[in-house]
Amino acid sequence: MTSRREQTLTYALLGAFSLLALMPIAGIVLTALQEPGGGASFGEINGVHPGNLRRAWEDGNFGDYLASSAIVAAAVVAIATTVSILAGYAFGLMRFRGSQVLFYAFLLGLMIPTEAMIVPLYYDLRDLALTDTYWALILPQAGTSIAFGTFWMRAFFRTVPRSLVEAARIDGASSWLTLWRVLLPLARPAVLTMVVLIFMWTWNEFLLALVMVTDEGLRTAPLGLSFFLGRNQADLTLLAAGAVIVATPVVVLYAFLQRHFIRGMVSGAVKG
Amino acid sequence: MAAVRFSGVRKRYGDTVAVHGLDLEIGDGEFMVLVGPSGSGKSTALRMLAGLEAITEGEIRIGDRTVNGVAPRERDIAMVFQDYALYPQMTVYDNLAFGLRRRRIAKPEIDERVRRAAAVLRLEPYLRRKPGQLSGGQAQRVALGRALVRDPQVWLMDEPLSNLDAKLRTQTRGEIKRLQQQERTTTVYVTHDQVEAMTMGDRIAVLNEGALEQVGTPEELYERPANTFVGGFIGSPAMAFFAAAAAPGDGGTRLTAAGIDLAVPGAAGLPREVTVGVRPEGARVWDPDDRELVGPLAGEVAFVEALGRETFVGVDVGEVRLVVHGEGRSRLVPGERLEFGLLPRALRFFGADGRAVAAG
Repeated sequence: MTSRREQTLTYALLGAFSLLALMPIAGIVLTALQEPGGGASFGEINGVHPGNLRRAWEDGNFGDYLASSAIVAAAVVAIATTVSILAGYAFGLMRFRGSQVLFYAFLLGLMIPTEAMIVPLYYDLRDLALTDTYWALILPQAGTSIAFGTFWMRAFFRTVPRSLVEAARIDGASSWLTLWRVLLPLARPAVLTMVVLIFMWTWNEFLLALVMVTDEGLRTAPLGLSFFLGRNQADLTLLAAGAVIVATPVVVLYAFLQRHFIRGMVSGAVKG
Repeated sequence: MAAVRFSGVRKRYGDTVAVHGLDLEIGDGEFMVLVGPSGSGKSTALRMLAGLEAITEGEIRIGDRTVNGVAPRERDIAMVFQDYALYPQMTVYDNLAFGLRRRRIAKPEIDERVRRAAAVLRLEPYLRRKPGQLSGGQAQRVALGRALVRDPQVWLMDEPLSNLDAKLRTQTRGEIKRLQQQERTTTVYVTHDQVEAMTMGDRIAVLNEGALEQVGTPEELYERPANTFVGGFIGSPAMAFFAAAAAPGDGGTRLTAAGIDLAVPGAAGLPREVTVGVRPEGARVWDPDDRELVGPLAGEVAFVEALGRETFVGVDVGEVRLVVHGEGRSRLVPGERLEFGLLPRALRFFGADGRAVAAG
């Protein structure tokens, strides 16, 4: 039991932190809706002008950038989710020789930052004639995402009672069917959380896109935004509108999957 | 239905041997209980039979078939797990039908078998519910139903009652026994609870530290334990033991130990040093007119367990604690002095190695 005072303090602290987290976001959204021309200072309110968003969309060519980002993010999420589920299943529930060593090898992908591998990666992809293609963005990000995803799904599969898998085996289900019919329905919160996280990281990736693609048609949204910022430094409202456009897909996806996301993040923390 | 045979089955995990050369035959349609304390290897033996653990050495046969390398799904067995292992996202109906669908049985037959099992186990009102919406007893019945619908050669049950409360456990115990007698499916049932073993099994196999101590009917195990371990494990309250010197005398055998001096008729051929085992019903409050009793022995009452219809009284005699059985309630209180006698026919004798020795 918590006392009333403790409860008030908890709410006050949570409120303060929420405010701290929301202020910059609210500031950008409000700025994006202010009178065009960049006159308004950050966060100042002088009416609602949704036209800024349309102007930024057209001037900044965000339609193409978002399409590029969507292609890359969808491909990365699809590849990483499929492989992570399969690898996590194997590492979490199957016994095979060398599984520990192999799992730690997978984890390397989590530990090495993009900055550390970007230069050799560039040369490798150039040798394979993959630079300036979507593959140059999809393959490296799928690789690092699989490292995280495998770690994430293995942790989930290890929480599943072993007897459930054994019951399915005795009932006549193959490994594949056990995964598909018995485990995946249970794994939905964990899988959807992984999808949101991988989508968000892929969507926001900047360095890789900067180094690997020069063709404007392949530019992703964060890279496009950066070029847009360079061209419109004086117009704060337009910059904010660009930022809002680029951030919106992640927010929308999160809003859709929010319920599962929270459940996925706390699963295993409390015994159900 | 089929007989099951373990021949020299061993299971080793690294340097630890979980099961030492198990030899056990389970008859067609028999209800065999594997009982033993934690770490006795009973669950490992069951899991090897299910195909969930590989066998290090030996052979397991189900019917005419050696199943050592056979996958669990091809062994034609069904298993009830301690935690029920119901598929949480499926309805009760789908849980029951899952195994049948995997075997590509025709839909109308699946439906018929599921509904028949549901009727037998009184699960009809819950067929559309998911396991999360069931009580412990209902979930347990679904787990049993899943084994029942499959109509396999062997039912395997791994401590299926241990998550139920005492009342439900007694009720479900009867239900499983009834079901098994009705279907006559060969059943291997693992438990650490000797009451379950005694009340359910046609025969009981007692395991200890990976070795088989004795196999027999509940009566055989209770009346003629092969060693002190079985004597102490089977029966509640447990058999009490004391070490005594045995010597011929007074036309029978004289048993002496600290605070104990008994002239037991017969009991010839005992070694000089024996361990005497006494079950509670082999000790009664002293009555000079009771010709069956030998004694008296006297000691201080250590505890009184009054169960209503009967009472067990723990009495410290020297360094030994014996349990005395009495009908009805007792007015005894701890600390009191009690005189009691033993029934010679109820005494069991064990040699220095703990094995039973026959007394003439």
